[in-house]
Amino acid sequence: MAKTRYLLFFIVILFPLRGFALEPSEKLLFEKNSLYQYISVIEDTVRKERYVRNQKKEYAQGGIYVNAPDKLLYEFTQMVFVSLAFLEREPQDALFVGLGAGAMPKYFSRYYPNANIDVAEIDPDMEAVAQKYFSFKENERMKVHVDDGRLFVKRARKKYDWIVLDAYQNDYIPFHLTTLEFLKEVKSRLKDDGVVVSNITAPFRNKFFDSMVMTYRKAFPAVYIFKGRKSANFIFVATTGSRPAGRAAVEARAAKLMAAKKFDIDLEAFAARYELSDAYAWEGARVLTDDFAPVNLYQHQKSGAR
Amino acid sequence: MIKFVVFLCGAIVMSFEILGSRVLAPNFGSSVFVWGSLISVFLSGLSAGYYLGGWLADRNPSSRKLSLMILIPGILFLTFPLYSAAIADWIFTKDLGIRVSPLLASVALFLAPSLFLGIVSPYTAKLMICSLHTSGRTIGTLYALSTFGSIVGTVVTSFYLITIAGTNALIVGQGILLIALSVPLFFMKLVCRAGEN
Repeated sequence: MAKTRYLLFFIVILFPLRGFALEPSEKLLFEKNSLYQYISVIEDTVRKERYVRNQKKEYAQGGIYVNAPDKLLYEFTQMVFVSLAFLEREPQDALFVGLGAGAMPKYFSRYYPNANIDVAEIDPDMEAVAQKYFSFKENERMKVHVDDGRLFVKRARKKYDWIVLDAYQNDYIPFHLTTLEFLKEVKSRLKDDGVVVSNITAPFRNKFFDSMVMTYRKAFPAVYIFKGRKSANFIFVATTGSRPAGRAAVEARAAKLMAAKKFDIDLEAFAARYELSDAYAWEGARVLTDDFAPVNLYQHQKSGAR
Repeated sequence: MIKFVVFLCGAIVMSFEILGSRVLAPNFGSSVFVWGSLISVFLSGLSAGYYLGGWLADRNPSSRKLSLMILIPGILFLTFPLYSAAIADWIFTKDLGIRVSPLLASVALFLAPSLFLGIVSPYTAKLMICSLHTSGRTIGTLYALSTFGSIVGTVVTSFYLITIAGTNALIVGQGILLIALSVPLFFMKLVCRAGEN
């Protein structure tokens, strides 16, 4: 009697089939139900953009300009780089948790060709898609590790200057990558004065967002938040140094980075959106732990703040 | 009463399985191997429990013995927070590979409770069958109640309970529930009354 119900449970958890329709300008290049998700690669033939989608009505997970695959297409991926202005040195070792289309690690390695880059990605099909459709290439300095992000961080012996957390989908967030314990493990993999940056999507300032703010604030001495203008993304920047980074210092360093690296994104404009996490802190929100983290339900509940 | 026990044990098995995925994730992630381990271990426990329950049921069955079968997983659940992290952390440090690690952790943490909860259905069936004329209906009713309990346990846990309490608190709560159920069962006398199935 138990067999069918388990089978059903297994199917529902692991193989959600999602039909979808394309816009007239869109062309489907690839689709697959991988072990972890539905992956579709779609090209907009008018806007000349190519992106990964996990569901029809969701934002894309990542993407590129077909004619300029090295550029960053999405605002949130550009905003992530503002966190480099919190580092007082050139990053030598970087870790990305979550690969997506591979746009961010690719972009980073373009501007920091001498940096060593590790990418932890749970889904082997995602890596294949990034390589085949998004001109992502591993090299001797940039390696993808097919592993659960939490496990990669826990087992890592190396320390990093810069850790980018981007392993959440819009419709599914792995709870064990949101908890205080996880953030502490991430922190333990940072070199002195290293920086963690995380992409948090919160369409209507949901409860998940409230709890993430409080959890980051508990794990790190200083947390800064940059708000997306074109999307519902918030970029959390967390530092371990005892001295907080003031707005003026961050803006000055962003300007210096722009001049030195000639980024094709406007880091100064993003730096101007600097906000302390205090602006978003709400004491009523619960800190997420390995024991308590109902993140996928919190995503659908309105923020308790105001 | 006894039907309620069957329903609740069905609910607790699946609720525990949902919570089990959260127990495993910090050390073993949420890869397909974790889900595979978790589900196969629960099925192994239930399968062994069904067999053992049937075997035990043919040896002088009583509601007093059934109460013990419920008390044991109750105690395992009640003390779960005392040993679960230690066992999971220990297996993590041994690093036996992405398949063996979660499988071993699942066996250590989930096999025994699911085995005892598996005993409940066949054992109860034997206690409740008074005549061969109605045995089919009795067994069918119990199967339905157990599986319906499992559905309720799954939905209530994953949609609601995890937003109000932590994983450990919920498992301890289930332990208290099982222990509370075992007490009246211990003192109960099951006798077939005429007209009942």
